[in-house]
Amino acid sequence: MTDAGVEALLEFDHVSVHFEGLRALDDVSFAVASGEIVGLIGPNGAGKTTAFNVACGFVRPSEGHVRFPARGASNLRPNELARVGVARTLQGVGLFSRCSVLENVMAGGQSRPSGGVVASLLSLPGAARAEKALRRDAMAMLERLGIAGVAHRLPSTIPYGTAKKVALARALMGAPRLLMLDEPASGLDEAELDEFAAHIVELRQTMGVLLVEHNMEFVMPLVDRLVVLNFGQVIATGTPNEVRNNQAVIEAYLGVSE
Amino acid sequence: MSPVARRGALALGGLVVALVLGLTLAPRTSDVVAVVVLAAVAAGGGFVGSLPTVRAERPALARAMLTVVLVDLVLFATAFLSVPTDFNLATGAGMAVVLLGLSFLTGASGQISIGHGAFMGVGAFATAIWANHHATTPIVVTLLISVVVGALFGLLLGLPATRLRGPYLAGMTLAFAVAFPAILSSFSSWTGGDSGLQLPNSATAPHWLVGLFHAGTPTLTTDTLWLTDIVMVATGVAFFFMANLFASRTGRAMRLVRDNDVAAELVGVGLPRTRVIAFVISAAYAALGGALWTLLNNSVSPATYGFALSITILAVIVIGGIGTISGAIIGGVVYAYSTNVIAWFVARTGLNPQGNLASQLNGIIFGALLIATMMFSPLGIAGTIRHLRQRRALARERGDLRGTREGPTLAPESGTRR
Repeated sequence: MTDAGVEALLEFDHVSVHFEGLRALDDVSFAVASGEIVGLIGPNGAGKTTAFNVACGFVRPSEGHVRFPARGASNLRPNELARVGVARTLQGVGLFSRCSVLENVMAGGQSRPSGGVVASLLSLPGAARAEKALRRDAMAMLERLGIAGVAHRLPSTIPYGTAKKVALARALMGAPRLLMLDEPASGLDEAELDEFAAHIVELRQTMGVLLVEHNMEFVMPLVDRLVVLNFGQVIATGTPNEVRNNQAVIEAYLGVSE
Repeated sequence: MSPVARRGALALGGLVVALVLGLTLAPRTSDVVAVVVLAAVAAGGGFVGSLPTVRAERPALARAMLTVVLVDLVLFATAFLSVPTDFNLATGAGMAVVLLGLSFLTGASGQISIGHGAFMGVGAFATAIWANHHATTPIVVTLLISVVVGALFGLLLGLPATRLRGPYLAGMTLAFAVAFPAILSSFSSWTGGDSGLQLPNSATAPHWLVGLFHAGTPTLTTDTLWLTDIVMVATGVAFFFMANLFASRTGRAMRLVRDNDVAAELVGVGLPRTRVIAFVISAAYAALGGALWTLLNNSVSPATYGFALSITILAVIVIGGIGTISGAIIGGVVYAYSTNVIAWFVARTGLNPQGNLASQLNGIIFGALLIATMMFSPLGIAGTIRHLRQRRALARERGDLRGTREGPTLAPESGTRR
């Protein structure tokens, strides 16, 4: 589990999820601390996506708690996550299709404090200033990821790999302490994978990262720890090397493909 | 010529044209002053508002300037219009306010209302009822009260809307629109029953206002026509606020919910709250439009706010371009001139103006236009223009990348998603 003394950002405490008799998650416990990259892997239908959805509040745990100890919060609703410093990307790209790339990234700062509806209506100085700062920060974020050139394009008109970076930029705009990436590698080519991995390693300095991924070549060198799910249960946790040699894991999953 | 110089030249040209026009048509001294003031405001405002630095650094100021110029030009133009045309234009302006609200609701937040005629009626009757009980209240205050009443009705119907989606929400607003006439008649001691309400002793215009707005033609200094100016100014204010809203964080929250509600929640947008806010604002705008109509007509009749009006509103916003501010304004103009066009058509074809066909012509024409819009350009007039401009910009960008000016063929992007 996490190092002693480092407070966990996200903690699954004996979480179970039942869907009408089906146990999608069964007594799952693990934690993610700041500065570490944790991979959540497992065969199809193992419960990875359910685990993400429970963490984000889209699915309520039938038993147990999802805690955010650093903020003293638990079992949050999806729209409360941003405020406790949790950002999540979606499978695919999950962008706002009729908003420009810049606006997509600005959306990531939507939970920043601002004056509310009346301030918006009257375009009060405070609201206008906040909006300008948000636009500037979003532009800087696009530059940091090297995609400022597409700021004013619609998501449907940019390459897939670029759209994935836009989704990452949006997640980072909330200055998260925990970043949850849902299949970040899917659909990327070799060069894009390397670049994405480099970004994630860099992000570790300021946050914890939890990712769900199928691409083992991408995950293995990247993560500090793996949590392996099968049929809704945690069958192994540990470093990539430990997991690679774990008999249960080989039988359940890796043995098939390697 | 640099863009700034071009804007300056445009503003100067406008100033000269306005001055020449104004001076030839308005020979009296006081009017000359008014014309000069109007022309100067138009030229200066247009210049300042269109400066790229102002647009980038002070977008709200640029919007304010744009609004002032638009209202200014409309007021200037009305000085040369016939009285009925001026009245029709003001009626269209009232409609444009309603359309702004509906455009925001549907275009920004993705919800649909078939009941906006009824929300309009709420504002219309609120104004008449208040004016009948408190004759001394200034018009601005009466309008604000009507807006608040409209917002409260919006809240009442919007709260269940957080749980309803798509056709169910539309069904609820439909029910409100259908029930509205019955609601009016069951409170007939307030609403005046079938005959509706008259406004008490119609207020007269302050003279400085007449002088400033209606420079020139003597017919325009009649007592009631200053009301059309009030309507234009109120429409301008509504336009300005809506432009702010579209460009603001609140407006973005609406678009995020519309495009992808899961991703919107993950960036911290509360779905029910956002949907209710959209509904309340939209209802408040509809109520303001109705209040302006009451003011213009000096009376209100329940027959105006039947179900047919809700359908007309829907048709006009689709024709203009749903989801855009310019679409609402275009829709308002279309509505304003439909009366003229129908009168012209009736006169040309020799139809009996009191006959069945002539009285139904309104619905027939809007129905046909609606079908044509849905078939040939579902984005409406404004949406189609915007779409063409985006395509051209994209084609140019790609052409530049390839070192040619020739753009590739682009697959038409779907504008009717969700």
